[in-house]
Amino acid sequence: MKNPFKNRSIISAKDFSREELEFLFGVADDIKEDPSKYRNELKGKKVALVFLEPSTRTFSSFFTAAMNAGCDVISFQDSSVTSIAKGETLFDTLKMIEGYGIDCIVLRHYYMGSAKFADEIVDVPIINAGSGSQEHPTQAMLDLYTILKKKNKIDGLKIGFLGDLRFGRTCPSLSYILSNYNIEIFYVAPQNLQIRKEVEIYLDNKGIKYKKTSDIREVIKELDVLYVTRIQKERFPDLTEYEKVKSFYSVDLNLLSLAKKDLGVMHPLPRVDELSSEVDKTPYAWYFEQAKNGLYIREALLNLILDQNEK
Amino acid sequence: MKNKKLLVSKIDWGTVIDHIPSWQADKVLKLLDINKIKSQKDISLIILYNCPSKKYNKKDIIKLYHHYLSKEEADLICLLFPTITINYVKDSNPVKYIPNIPKRIIGKIKCPQINCITNALNEPITSSFYVLQHLKLLQCEYCDSLLEFEKLSEYVFY
Repeated sequence: MKNPFKNRSIISAKDFSREELEFLFGVADDIKEDPSKYRNELKGKKVALVFLEPSTRTFSSFFTAAMNAGCDVISFQDSSVTSIAKGETLFDTLKMIEGYGIDCIVLRHYYMGSAKFADEIVDVPIINAGSGSQEHPTQAMLDLYTILKKKNKIDGLKIGFLGDLRFGRTCPSLSYILSNYNIEIFYVAPQNLQIRKEVEIYLDNKGIKYKKTSDIREVIKELDVLYVTRIQKERFPDLTEYEKVKSFYSVDLNLLSLAKKDLGVMHPLPRVDELSSEVDKTPYAWYFEQAKNGLYIREALLNLILDQNEK
Repeated sequence: MKNKKLLVSKIDWGTVIDHIPSWQADKVLKLLDINKIKSQKDISLIILYNCPSKKYNKKDIIKLYHHYLSKEEADLICLLFPTITINYVKDSNPVKYIPNIPKRIIGKIKCPQINCITNALNEPITSSFYVLQHLKLLQCEYCDSLLEFEKLSEYVFY
């Protein structure tokens, strides 16, 4: 297969086929096996990390991935210290960055739809590193990669999402990307934090089976993977609502005693109190490996997007 | 209406928006470019609320004397309520407009998601929606948020 990522923006998890994702995973496997193989492969390329919303893992994994690949990196990590704080538009910010001869822009922004807009503004590839509570496609890629590595398959799996499914950006993206496979999804959340209607419409169109419930105990026995998400305080306009739901569900050994022995627990991190640290040392805990896979996937993506070899 | 007397006189030329659900004419009005209408001296606008209707029992009607709605406006109005019919009247003869349901609506409707980039201050961006006709929904092309047809009039801008 010809590199399907060359000069391509990563805007939405909806945009990638099973074959394309598996092509990406092949390169991630190569990097994981022998990191030196791709070291400095992108020497001379310039990557801008424009993070206008807080980030730890996504920023640091993109930063490390770009450095490993030999790119020059410029980064903004806080809108309060940039001209954004003076009222500069995203349009002007990106035009200015593009003018510096940047080859690729990794963008995290608090507005939904910001990545699509960015892609319309500049001619260089944009990688969406989180567009408000809309999407986080590279997280979905590394999540899918983690499931594939741990289970050796995706088809036939039953995958549960637990927590804040309404305001979280990882659940929509992972749902979209999973819809390339023959899977079943269980959305477990209080009613006011259930998965958004637009995700349901997408899954309906793709013929994916899913169920919504508010009781994790009702479905935990069936699951092969449990994807836990943080109740995000910053997504709540009303803090009293946040207080009401923050401890709605927590995953601990007591709950996991009801699960299949080979259930995998995933979490995009950071966690607060929704995932007990007592799970960390059990075989259920996939989340640290999941975070580590972020580096391989992002390094693979940069290498494929900025591929200098293939004409 | 026993004597079948018309509440208002027939239109010689202009537009009649008929079969609006009862007491919903205000929502239709919001979809009209009212400033453009007001700027033209010869136009009269008559709104009839809660009139008798053979088909629906009760209905609202909007009559625009001496003004033809643009096809784009007519299509948007027909999205709002499926019962609506629009007639263009010329020389006192009404011609029923067959609406052309657009695939996309660009620039007319504000995204209901406050955190959508199309609502960001000063960004040079135009709102854009896909029309999901079978679900009676619009979907923002930028943030994916949904807007029910019936709520269109709350988000229209001119």
